[in-house]
Amino acid sequence: MSTVTETAAPASSRFGAFALVFGICFGILYVVCDMAALPMFTYHPGTDRIDPGFAPARRDEGPAMYWYGWIATSALGASILGLLAALLPEKIRRQIPLALAWVVPVVLLPVLIYSLKFYWRWE
Amino acid sequence: MDFVLDYISVNTFWTILSIVHALLAVALLGALTHQAAAVLAPPRAGAAGGFVTRFRAVSGPSYAAAVCVLWVLAFMLGGWIYTKYRIYVRIPIEQEGMWKTLGAFELKEHLATIGLGLLPFYWHLWKNARNTAYDSARKWLTVVLAAICWYAFLTGHVVNNTRGFGL
Repeated sequence: MSTVTETAAPASSRFGAFALVFGICFGILYVVCDMAALPMFTYHPGTDRIDPGFAPARRDEGPAMYWYGWIATSALGASILGLLAALLPEKIRRQIPLALAWVVPVVLLPVLIYSLKFYWRWE
Repeated sequence: MDFVLDYISVNTFWTILSIVHALLAVALLGALTHQAAAVLAPPRAGAAGGFVTRFRAVSGPSYAAAVCVLWVLAFMLGGWIYTKYRIYVRIPIEQEGMWKTLGAFELKEHLATIGLGLLPFYWHLWKNARNTAYDSARKWLTVVLAAICWYAFLTGHVVNNTRGFGL
């Protein structure tokens, strides 16, 4: 009987593998979508208009919102990758480090802070 | 929802939503803080039952489902309010040049979203609370989510104080 360690513990159930890979990939894809301007759609709250993909704010129609579109893009990508992970053989699923679930958001934090550098100013 | 506006003003409607959002956040904060304390510093066997001991002596697994539901509800409500924030709160704060306040709020939105994506695995870890192989991941993921929740709560509070209700 093999000893199970923390880094190679069983994300062995298919749901466990899906949830782990979804969580990791969702965070990474979200940051990529934010920094690379890749929303699935753009919402214009002033007029309730929805445009596909990235659309700049329209003149005299208020701001454009990309946050909902980033979430949609990230959720779609993470779902696909999570499903692929769930389909992997158990031997491979067990190799996915569980610690990535909390290490990835910690690593993403400075990236996010950097991505918001526009706001860290005195004026 | 328009029929509601026959009885209350638009400002009152969005103020109520903001308060409910805050109350959900308070409940979430309490649940996650209890759970994080329980995994970081579980009470020693035979320890006297004072406030601190009781605070960290909660049964972590019994909080997991509530945490997931509260996070999703608070997130959905926040996402709804966010449409009004973008126009009626953010723009005036921009005009005041309070950039760091806005940046802190942007970071809150990002972290709360990343936390949302981690909930399925968080729930899976707590559903299998007897699996010792999950102990470390369960502990640190709970702590990370609690830290995100504290940051989001405090930042939301600051932004709310900056703009105020019903303006």
